[in-house]
Amino acid sequence: MARALRFRFSRDERLKYIAHLDVLRLFERAIKRAGLPVAYTQGFNPRQKIVFGLPIAVGLTSSAEYADIEFDEEMTPESFISRINQSLPEGIEVMEAVPVRNMGRIMSLIASARYEIAFTIPQAMDQDTLSGIVIDFLDQEDITAMKKTKKGMRPVNIRPLIYSLSVRKPDGDGYIMEAFLSAGAENNLRPDLLMQAFAQKTGLELTVESIHRRAMFASDFNEWKSPLEVADD
Amino acid sequence: MEVWDARSILLKMMRVKLDDKLLLQIEKPAKYTGNEWNMVRKDPDAVQVRFAFAFPDDYEIGMSHLGMKILYHTMNKREDTYCERVFAPWVDMERLMRERGIPLYALETYTPLSEFDIIGFTLQYEMSYTNILNMLDLGGVPVLAKDRDESHPFVCAGGPCAVNPEPLADFIDFFVIGEGEEVIHEIIDAYKEWKSSGGNRAAFLEQVAGIEGVYVPSLYEVIYYDDGTILDILPKSEKVPDVVRRRVVRDLDQVDFPDDIIVPYIGTVHDRIMLELFRGCIRGCRFCQAGFIYRPVRERSPEKLNELARSSVRKTGYEEISLVSLSTSDYSALPAFCDELLAFTEKEHVNLSLPSLRVDNFSLGLMERASKVRKSGLTFAPEAGTQRLRDVINKGVTDEDLKSSVQLAVAGGWNSVKLYFMLGLPTETMEDVDGIADMGISLVESCRGIADKNGGSLQITLSTSCFVPKPFTPFQWEPMDDIETLTEKQHHLKDRIRRRTRKIVYHYHNPRISHMEAVLARGDRRLGKVIYTAWKMGARFDGWDEHFSFERWQEAFRANGLDSAFYANRRRDFSEVLPWDHIDIGVTKEFLIRECRKAYEGDLTRNCASGCSHCGATVYGAGICFKQKKNQDQAGG
Repeated sequence: MARALRFRFSRDERLKYIAHLDVLRLFERAIKRAGLPVAYTQGFNPRQKIVFGLPIAVGLTSSAEYADIEFDEEMTPESFISRINQSLPEGIEVMEAVPVRNMGRIMSLIASARYEIAFTIPQAMDQDTLSGIVIDFLDQEDITAMKKTKKGMRPVNIRPLIYSLSVRKPDGDGYIMEAFLSAGAENNLRPDLLMQAFAQKTGLELTVESIHRRAMFASDFNEWKSPLEVADD
Repeated sequence: MEVWDARSILLKMMRVKLDDKLLLQIEKPAKYTGNEWNMVRKDPDAVQVRFAFAFPDDYEIGMSHLGMKILYHTMNKREDTYCERVFAPWVDMERLMRERGIPLYALETYTPLSEFDIIGFTLQYEMSYTNILNMLDLGGVPVLAKDRDESHPFVCAGGPCAVNPEPLADFIDFFVIGEGEEVIHEIIDAYKEWKSSGGNRAAFLEQVAGIEGVYVPSLYEVIYYDDGTILDILPKSEKVPDVVRRRVVRDLDQVDFPDDIIVPYIGTVHDRIMLELFRGCIRGCRFCQAGFIYRPVRERSPEKLNELARSSVRKTGYEEISLVSLSTSDYSALPAFCDELLAFTEKEHVNLSLPSLRVDNFSLGLMERASKVRKSGLTFAPEAGTQRLRDVINKGVTDEDLKSSVQLAVAGGWNSVKLYFMLGLPTETMEDVDGIADMGISLVESCRGIADKNGGSLQITLSTSCFVPKPFTPFQWEPMDDIETLTEKQHHLKDRIRRRTRKIVYHYHNPRISHMEAVLARGDRRLGKVIYTAWKMGARFDGWDEHFSFERWQEAFRANGLDSAFYANRRRDFSEVLPWDHIDIGVTKEFLIRECRKAYEGDLTRNCASGCSHCGATVYGAGICFKQKKNQDQAGG
């Protein structure tokens, strides 16, 4: 039992066309429909106390989004999950929840994310050739890309923000890039920007077909941990 | 049975498929994907009538429209009918749809428009007419009614602009005049009967022409004089009525009002619960079409409204409720109703928004309680700058009223005030135009001391629209100011304000769009050719400045040998046959003539609550007329 919970939710194809702010509003309304005893902020314009880990871009599907929510009464994870899911539209689903000690820290906790980026290229290549290209790409010390920062569009070396990168060829058309990237409020690297830089540096005429966020991690004494694992901190 | 099975297989094959590449190229793709909370899901093969409710503008506008929510809910309560939604795709989406041969589809099942039984357009604004043609074309439906056969859907239209249906006569199979909640059931029943009878298209149209409120333009003939005015409008057969009477719902508590409205994923213009307090307006401002075409005033009961507020919040999760009517302050049970409603909204963290309130101590207190958000802007609509002209339009507001209202508001902490006016009202002189600037300036001066006390300065915004004479108003015979005159008045006003103060911001409308609105509002059916030509030349989203082209419309007029000034800027004689004379909205022409004459004299007409002025709407035996008659009978007996 707890007054605050941290939860993981997923978003699939059906709701991938809405922007981050629309997702926030969608949750606020679902919480109201579910009649959950959510806590409100004080002041002129009271808002529900719910904080999301990382914005979710239009077009992105995900199996690992995180948020913290606070209630006016004790709430079990089981009860929260079953009530909210009945009020959420198809396409977004809360998968798990745990009590959280410091409600609202989720935003500063997120430090990295794992993505699966499906892409196609005009001429077929075998996996080894493509893997070689990825390794050469990673061998560069400086990969400059135009990145949106707090001070506007700026050239930034994104190489330190790439923790790992590998490519595989599943059955059927196209390839999957598995990318483990720096994420969070400070040093976020968007997967679409990575692919742009990859295309530019390698000369591959690639088309990104879809991007899926597989996982998100908090950094805990040099160890990557699920945000749910560090909910006691 | 076999025929039906074949059709359902065909339908399943006809579903539109969209992909990422398309949707991620366009702005706000969620406008085209549906699947919102409370969207109605049915098996299309299990219903007998598939109805596409079409809103001829962008999703964000259309999803804000209360009438669509009401009819969507009403039709979908029937097991035999599936009502789906269609909006005009924005230009980026349209381009891709045309490039890839994707037909316009309904959001519920992605079924192309051409597969529906009936397509119903709502006519909220004249400048959306070209979107109707464009949507039919994109949906694979012949644009002209005469080109449709038994394999095509019926195309109908309703809404406020349908009181003059004539400019759209070439495109629409039948119009529904007035309120739709009841007549839509009669139309669907007639459709089912016709479908099982295996009759032809003409048979169905003749059948619905017998339903009160339904107008089938192809069954009437319009005869013109050489000068372009109308000699007569005649039914082509004895089976159709000479005059079509507008439909009115007599008791609002007896018709459905939706509490399970669709909750869009993206922000729309009015993204909230709308509670309709009443229909009609007691005021009778002479320029206001809504003030005449929704008579008589009929209220929904406070009990019903409070019940709707509770169930709507529960079913939608919305964080805001807005009260809807033409004049909130005129709702007879407002104080008691708001007390009960606020007790609920405060507990549930729901904001209450109160538009169209007259500003006094009561309403300011109410607004303060209702909305926890920062006090931003208050809006007033004096409509005209001098007392003389306000009397002409029967807007019973004085300078003193306005001054004390604004002072009250400013003292209460509201620091920005918007004032709405019209330019080009009948009898307007430059003195009246000056009056608009002077009113703003005197408000700035009279509020100076009060605003300073609050530590802020008062920001006044003046907006002028261009007066457009509308059918079924006392000004339906009036010439509209021409574009040059309106432009001159706007510049004059801008100058006068700028010379005197920097504290007033002035906004004004594009007079060329208003000119075209005036043409379409009072047009006859010869305009069908002009609308068609303009659409062919690329006209759509004409109400949006960035898409409107005046030159294109003028070109379309020339191509058809017509002159837009004939429709916009000509004074009609009281004896002239007007294009909408075969439509009867309840309010009589005699009353409108009387009101027009009184306008010239600056004579005021009392409002419906203080006494009946015999407009004719009593024929409906409903609402305020009915109540008053009862009171008078009791007093007399």
